[in-house]
Amino acid sequence: MLDAPLIGPYDPDGVLAREADGPRTARQFLSDVSRLADSLPDRPAVLNLLSSRYEFLVGFAAAMLRGQVTLLPQSRAPQTLRRIAGEYRDSYCLTNQDEPVEGIESLFLRRHGGLAGWPKRIPHIPLDRVAAIAFTSGSTGQPMPNRKTWRALTAVALATGARLGLTTGRQSAVVATVPHQHMFGLEASVMLPIMHGLVMHAGRPLFPADIRDALAEVAGTRILVTTPLHLRACVTEGLRLPPVGLILSATAPLPRSLAQAAERQFQTEVHEIFGFAEAGSVAERRTTDGDQWQPLDAVRLTQGSAGWTVQADYLPAPVRVPDRITVDADGRFVVHGREADQINIAGHRVSLGDLNQKLLEIEGVQDGVFFLPEEEGDCVTRLIACVVAPGKTAEEIQQALRRRLDPVFLPRPLLLVPQLPRNDTGKLPREALLKLAGQQAGGSPHDA
Amino acid sequence: MADMSPQERDLAALIVQTLKLKVDPATIQPEAPLFGDGLGLDSIDALELSLAISQTYGYQLKSSDPEIKAIFSSLRALSNAIEKNRSK
Repeated sequence: MLDAPLIGPYDPDGVLAREADGPRTARQFLSDVSRLADSLPDRPAVLNLLSSRYEFLVGFAAAMLRGQVTLLPQSRAPQTLRRIAGEYRDSYCLTNQDEPVEGIESLFLRRHGGLAGWPKRIPHIPLDRVAAIAFTSGSTGQPMPNRKTWRALTAVALATGARLGLTTGRQSAVVATVPHQHMFGLEASVMLPIMHGLVMHAGRPLFPADIRDALAEVAGTRILVTTPLHLRACVTEGLRLPPVGLILSATAPLPRSLAQAAERQFQTEVHEIFGFAEAGSVAERRTTDGDQWQPLDAVRLTQGSAGWTVQADYLPAPVRVPDRITVDADGRFVVHGREADQINIAGHRVSLGDLNQKLLEIEGVQDGVFFLPEEEGDCVTRLIACVVAPGKTAEEIQQALRRRLDPVFLPRPLLLVPQLPRNDTGKLPREALLKLAGQQAGGSPHDA
Repeated sequence: MADMSPQERDLAALIVQTLKLKVDPATIQPEAPLFGDGLGLDSIDALELSLAISQTYGYQLKSSDPEIKAIFSSLRALSNAIEKNRSK
C-alpha cells in the first residue's frame, strides 16, 4: 500500500465536523479542502495556526494535497513562530484574519460555503509523505523537529481507536479541550475522529460550562479528549454533563483519585494515553485499573543498550523512551518518571516522577509536585514540594509522606498552594515552580 | 490609590488569592487589562478564576458569551458582569 485516504468511512452527506455555526458534511469538507488547495502559494512548508479545529483540518489536508509539510509550533509565542519560520525557508503562515503574526508572511483563510470544489472521490495521500513536523522544546531552548509521516499519523489513529474499541459507522463525536497544534491534540482530536468516521467538534472549550455546551452540541456517543487540568475543573464545578461515553486524558499524569471522581460524577470511563512527541501515542490505560500501561498493538518495546525504545512499522527508527519504565513479561509497563528527573540527595537516588506519584496517591491531594531548588553552598539541598490539598494541613501530608518515602526525600518545606503554575498543556515549567516557592516560602511557616 | 467599589475590592481580593498573585489587591487598577499586558493572566488563570467566581458568586463564565472579551477586559468589567449575573 503506497497511499491511504484522507478521511475514513464517511457517507458524503454524513457530518464530519461541528462548527460554531452548524455541521460540515464530508462533501463540504472535501470541497473546502480542494478549494483551499488550489489557492495555496507554491511553498514547501506552512505554519497552520488556524484556531477552529475544522479550519485547521482543512488547512492541514489542503497542504498535504499540495505536498506541503505542516509545521506545528510548540507555542504561539511570536518569537517561537519567527524562529521556526526562519528555519524553514519560504514557509508561510495560514491564520485567521484577526490573528496575523508579525514578521511572517500570512495567508488568511477565507470562508466559502459552496460545494463547487467537490472532488467526487476522496483524495489519497502517499504514506511516506511527511505530513507534519511537531516541534518540542529542546533542552537548549531551540525547537526540536519531530517528523510525522501520513503512515505514522494514520497508523496511530487506527491503533488508538482499536484499543479504545471505537467502531466505525457508529455515531460518535469527539469534543476536545486540547490544542490541535500539539501532538496529542493532532492525534486524538483530529486524526482519531477523521480516521473512524466520527464527528469532530471544531471548538476548543475552556471553562466547564463551555465543555458542557460543546458536548451538548453533538449527538451520539460523546468522547471528551482533555487534560487533568480541565477534568479537575469539571469535577470541582460539580457540573452535570450530557452523557459521555469516554474521557481520554493525556499531557500530564492523572491522579487516580481524580479519575475515580470523574468516573463517578460523569458515569463514564476515564482512559489515559502515554506518549511523547518523538513517537506519538504509545500506550493506553484505564486510570482506575492501576499503574500499568498497555502498549498500542502497533507498538513494540525493546530494550537496547541505552534503555527502552519504541519500535513500530511507521517509525523510521527506534525511538528512545524518555522515561524510566519497567516492562513485564506480557509487555505492559510502569512509568517511574523522566530519565532527566533523576535526583540524588546525600547518595540516595530517586526520580521526581516517582516522588510525585507517591504524593498524588495521598488522600486529599489534588495536585502536587516535588522539585529541587538551585543548590546553594555546600549544604545538602533538600526537595521542595508544592501541594494542592484543600482541607488538609501540611503536617498531615508530611505524615503520609513519611510513611511512603525515605526520610531524605521528605520535602523541606512542604508548601500548601491553591494551585500549581501549569502551562497550557498541563506541564510545570521549572521557572514557574521556583517563582512559586519563592513567593510561598516568604509568607508560610516552614514545616520541617 | 485606585478608586474601587466595595464589590470591586472583594473581587480583587478573590483574584489575588485564587491566582496567588504577588500584588496588593488595593493596587489593581480597576480599568486596566487583566490578561496580557495588565496582570499578565493566561487561559489557565482564566480557568482557575472561573471556578472561584462560580463558587463564590454562582456565576458560570462561558467563552461562547459574545461579551466574554469585554467581561475579562478589566476588574471593573468583570465585577459589573458578576453583579448582573450573580446568584449568590
